[in-house]
Amino acid sequence: MQRRTFLQGLAAAGVLGSVPFSLAHAVSAAGSVSVETLPKLEGDLTLYLGRGEGGLYENVLDAIKKRNPKLNLKVRRGGSAALANTIVAETKAGVKRADLFWAVDTGSIGMVTDSGAAKPLPSTVTSQLKDGFQYPSWSPVTGRVRTLPYNTERVKPEQIPDSIMALADSDLKIGWAPAYSSFQSFVTAMRILEGENATRSWLKGINKNAKKYAGELGVVMGVERGEVDVGFANHYYTLRLKSGKPDANVALAYTNNDAGCLVNASGIVALSEGDLPVNFIRYLLTHEVQSYLAREAYEIPLVQDVAAPEGLASLSSLSPPELDLRKLADLRPTLNMMRDVGVL
Amino acid sequence: MTTTLKKISTLLTASFLSLSMVSTSALANGEIGDHVNNLHAHIGEYTEEVHWLESKFGSVVDAYASKDKNLKTDALMEYWEEVDFHSAIETQYVPIYASIWQGIYGVKVAIDESKPIDVVREEQEKLNHALWQALGAVKLASQYQQRGLVDQVRTTEVEPTTGPAVIDDIKTRLDRVVAKYAEQLNEVATTLVHDTYLQRFEGVEGDLIAKDADLVEALEKDFNVTLPQAISSNKSVDSVRDVVEAMQVKLNKARALLVEAEKGRKDVF
Repeated sequence: MQRRTFLQGLAAAGVLGSVPFSLAHAVSAAGSVSVETLPKLEGDLTLYLGRGEGGLYENVLDAIKKRNPKLNLKVRRGGSAALANTIVAETKAGVKRADLFWAVDTGSIGMVTDSGAAKPLPSTVTSQLKDGFQYPSWSPVTGRVRTLPYNTERVKPEQIPDSIMALADSDLKIGWAPAYSSFQSFVTAMRILEGENATRSWLKGINKNAKKYAGELGVVMGVERGEVDVGFANHYYTLRLKSGKPDANVALAYTNNDAGCLVNASGIVALSEGDLPVNFIRYLLTHEVQSYLAREAYEIPLVQDVAAPEGLASLSSLSPPELDLRKLADLRPTLNMMRDVGVL
Repeated sequence: MTTTLKKISTLLTASFLSLSMVSTSALANGEIGDHVNNLHAHIGEYTEEVHWLESKFGSVVDAYASKDKNLKTDALMEYWEEVDFHSAIETQYVPIYASIWQGIYGVKVAIDESKPIDVVREEQEKLNHALWQALGAVKLASQYQQRGLVDQVRTTEVEPTTGPAVIDDIKTRLDRVVAKYAEQLNEVATTLVHDTYLQRFEGVEGDLIAKDADLVEALEKDFNVTLPQAISSNKSVDSVRDVVEAMQVKLNKARALLVEAEKGRKDVF
C-alpha cells in the first residue's frame, strides 16, 4: 500500500479557525507531561460534556475532582451537537454559562470555534499535541479512524485495495452497516471528496457484493466469522474484539488519502479567559489521561509520546484525507442518496 | 403478597431508582406535581378515580351491549386522560401504564370492529385488572416515598453517568417504548428506540465488546432491526413487549458485565 506521511490530520480537516495550516505547524512540539507537574485546580468551572465512552469520561472527571478538592466542577451533559448549539445560542444572547466544552466529534467543536466563542490556547498547551493536531483555539483529546477490518483466513492484506473507490470494483465480499451513523458520516465524506456521481456509483457497486449488518460491531463480527472478506468500521470495534478474543480472525487494513481512512477526534474548547479552564485542559492532555483513554476506550492518543492502542497502525503511517470535518454535519443529501440508490 | 404484587414490588424498587430520569418531555400527559411526589396524600383520590374509571368504562361497554347508536369509543381515552391517577402511574410504574393503554385499545377495537359482547367484556375485564394492579403499584410506591427511599420525580432529565446506570436507564426507556406503542404513538415509540440506541447504548457498547461481543451484536440487532420492525409491522402490544422483555434480559447480563469491568479498571492517576 502506498503511504504518505500523516501531515494533514485534522488541521487540514479545517477546524483551524483563521490560522493557516503552516502556522499551526510552526509551533514546536513538546512531550507529554505527567499530572504530577500540573498546578492544582481551584475555583468554579462549568463543563458542557458531550456523551462519549460511557462512564470513562466520567471516570476522568472524577479523578480530576479527587485530585483537586478545591475545584468546584459542574457538568452539564448532552449530545455534542445539541450542546454546541446551546453554546452558540448562549454566546449570541450574551449569556455565558459554560467555561469549557468537551465534545466527541470535531463537527461540534467547529460550530463553537466558528461562533467566536472559543478562547485562544497558549502554545504550551498546543505544542503537546502531535503534528497535525495543534490548533490555536481548541485542543483535540483523542481520535478514531475509519478502517477496513478483514478476515485473515480468507484474504491476504495485499488483496485489499488501498483506494476506497477501488473496492467497488473488487471481487471481495463486503460487510457494511448503511443504517449506522458512523458509516453515514463516512459516505458524507466521500460525497464531499469524490462528488455525488462517484459516490452514487460506489454505493451501487458495493451493494452488489455486500451483506448488510445492523451496526459496525456486527460488521466486524461478520468479518471474523468469515461471512464476508472485508468490512467498513471505526478502528475500535476490531481492537476491542481482539482484546477479548486475541485469536479472532480479523485484522485492520487502511486506505490511502480518501474517505476510507477518515480521522475524527474528540476535542475541548475553553470558553472563558483565565488560567483555570486552560489548566483543566492540561489535565486531559497528561500522559496519564491519554494513556487511560487509549487503554480503556481504545481511542487514539493525540499527545506526543503516548502509545496508541495495541494493534493500531501508528498515526505517522496513516494518510487521512484533507477534509473540513464540520461538513460532515450535512447528512441529509447523503441519506437521500442512499435511499435513492436503495441501500437504506 | 400475591406473586404479581411481589413482582411489582421488585420492579418498583428498581424503577424508583431511575425515576429521576423521567423527563417532562417523556411524559405525554400530566404535569409533575404534588400528586406524584406526595402519593400518600392522594391514595384516597386515586382509589375513587379507579372506581370512577371502572364505572365509566363499564358504561361504554353497556352502551355497546344495548346497541346505543350515539356510542363513541374515543370516550374511553378521554376518561383515562381526565384523571390524576394517569400521571401517578406513568411516573411510577411504566409497564402497567402500558397495560392500561393496551386494555383501553382492546375494548375500543373490539367495539369498533363490532365483536360479540362476550369478547368486549373479556377485554373490559383485562382493562379493569390493569387498573387495580396499577392502584396496587401506586400504593406500594407511596410507602416507599413515605420511607424516603426514593427521590422526588424531577422535571428535568438527569443523565446517567456510569455504565450500570446507563443500562438501568435503557431498561426504563424500553418500558416507555411499550407504553407509547400501547398508546398507539408508533412514531414516538420508534424515535424513542432510536434515541435510546444513539444516546445511551452506543456509549456503553464499547466496554461490553471485549467482554461479550455476541451479546452486543444481539442487542445491536434488537435496537436496529427487531424492535423497530415489530413496531412498524403493527404487531400486537404483547409481541412488542416480548421483544422488549427479551432485550431487558440481555441488558441485565450487560449490566453485570459492566459492574465487573468497573471493578477491574485501573485508576486514571
